[in-house]
Amino acid sequence: MIKDDFFKTLASPWLWGIVLLGAMLPMVLSSYYTHILTIALVYVALASAWNIVGGMSGQISLAHSLFIGTGAMLSAALLVKLGINMWAGLVIAAATAGLLGAIIAWIDFRFQLGHLSFVLITLAFAEMASIVVEGWDFLGGASGLLLPQDTGNFLDFQFGGGRGAFWVMLGLATIIVLVNVAILNSPLGYYLRTIRDNEKAAQAIGVNVLRQKTTAMVISAVLTSIVGTAYVRYLTFADPYLLASPVITIEIVLFATVGGLGRAYGPALGALLLVPLGEVLRGKLGGAVPGLHYFIYGIVVIVVILATPSGLLPLFERLFWRRSRMLPKI
Amino acid sequence: MSELWQALAQGVFIGSTYGLLALGMGLVYGVSGVVNFAHGDFISLAMFMCLALFSAFSLDPYVSVLITIPVMTAIGALVYRFLLRPMVGYKFLMVVQLTLGLSLVLQNGILMIFGGQPARTPSIVESKLIILGDVVLRLAHVIACAVAFAMAIGLYVMLRSTDFGRSIRAVHQNAHAAALMGIDVGRVQVMTFALGIGILAVAAALLLPGTPIQPTQGLQYTVITLLVVVLGGMTNFVGIMLGGLVIGISEAMGTVYVSDTLGRLVPYAIFVLIMLFRPQGLTWRAS
Repeated sequence: MIKDDFFKTLASPWLWGIVLLGAMLPMVLSSYYTHILTIALVYVALASAWNIVGGMSGQISLAHSLFIGTGAMLSAALLVKLGINMWAGLVIAAATAGLLGAIIAWIDFRFQLGHLSFVLITLAFAEMASIVVEGWDFLGGASGLLLPQDTGNFLDFQFGGGRGAFWVMLGLATIIVLVNVAILNSPLGYYLRTIRDNEKAAQAIGVNVLRQKTTAMVISAVLTSIVGTAYVRYLTFADPYLLASPVITIEIVLFATVGGLGRAYGPALGALLLVPLGEVLRGKLGGAVPGLHYFIYGIVVIVVILATPSGLLPLFERLFWRRSRMLPKI
Repeated sequence: MSELWQALAQGVFIGSTYGLLALGMGLVYGVSGVVNFAHGDFISLAMFMCLALFSAFSLDPYVSVLITIPVMTAIGALVYRFLLRPMVGYKFLMVVQLTLGLSLVLQNGILMIFGGQPARTPSIVESKLIILGDVVLRLAHVIACAVAFAMAIGLYVMLRSTDFGRSIRAVHQNAHAAALMGIDVGRVQVMTFALGIGILAVAAALLLPGTPIQPTQGLQYTVITLLVVVLGGMTNFVGIMLGGLVIGISEAMGTVYVSDTLGRLVPYAIFVLIMLFRPQGLTWRAS
């Protein structure tokens, strides 16, 4: 059912060349820059996973901190408090996140939420989730959870930090971007875009809106949760203020929008440009004047949005490719 | 029983200020369709301006309003004219992102100037209490409530019976028709946004006495304001003031009757339930 374009992308030497080149980067870069790239890849993965819901079906979900939090805090709590292997924790957390996603999609459908009410309901869920995490000792409470040291034992979901984590994140980010390409080229992607552009018309021509939206939300939630688990393993410290706070969703949405919503490579581009910029600014300026790096970062975001309101990817396409045959059309 | 009255009174007084915060956002949404996620950071900005005026000239927040209102209004006009107006016609989400970028700039600009430590702005009414039977009220809250309702009534009268108010309502109902009737829609939008931000200067002074302020508080205020605006039906004047009271009272009840964690959940839970089960009270325009 998936169109040929996906398999062309899958067989494209460009894609694997870029991934291979990327995989060699930690060999040449210092550990500091490897760290920055790892964080950037985390956000590539998160923004691309969010794109399945926010970009393709046009539901601006701010509940994704719930899924990151489930993936990170729940698997960490299962490991630290109950001694459950983190691979099992990953599966349990992903299943929980998928269930939560399905519930949110069902609420959205059952109560026929408009655009703005969906944004706000999901924001309220995210706020409630962060309050619950901070107040519930099992999930670490306000002080968070410290994971055992990463010794590189693969069976315990350990990848040896540094380079290992980089490769895991590169793999996850590549898979999630490819999932984006696959969905855009499959019936699901067309259904989602129909729903985004006109939900009533989609329903009238026989699109099962509830099923398509739920599928998209569950895929997105499960992928987000898996990235959350891998991220917390890399950080070694499950910090509720980072991993379960709505602020992280706002950042993800920002990267996706700046890069280009609903495009397979847009969110990845946004995260790859903005995360290193933010981290380097923080490294160079954060110590001197607190807040200066975020200040500059905010100005960059405003300028980018004013200059290219449809995102950077469409702009780059206009500049570099006159006709982009490689990219799935919307 | 006295706890109940205490919580109710506190909720009403805080809630009326929330209503005032939300009126500005509701007006802006009605006229230009912009949901301003930097709203809370503009409140921060006004509060820190009061702090700066106090440290420089020992002005009481209630006096510095005379300076902060025109300054905030001018900032609002400039922001709309140069940042938000160019975005007219693009997706809702892009405007939201732009205001989020603006929120980063404001929040960290404040952080750079004032540092991250929580600060207080003293005021003459800070420690004054009014005791009515079992209920202890803070004078600052009573003033806040009175001023908030007075401003709300003033705005209502302005909307009903001045030319500016009528042009706001005309643009809200149908911008094209308003333009055909000779109303300068762009100018009305700039002025409404400026008005919405100017109101925040007053709300900031009302909230200041006894409230510690810090640069990172913006998002919290934005979320509260959004909850109130949505509960009130986006552009429904009376609805928004009622929404403020609902959120204020549920917050106060939550902290009095339920444990800390659950108490903080109460306003959100009430918000979600009202959104889901009483959407007829919410009258936003079809997308």
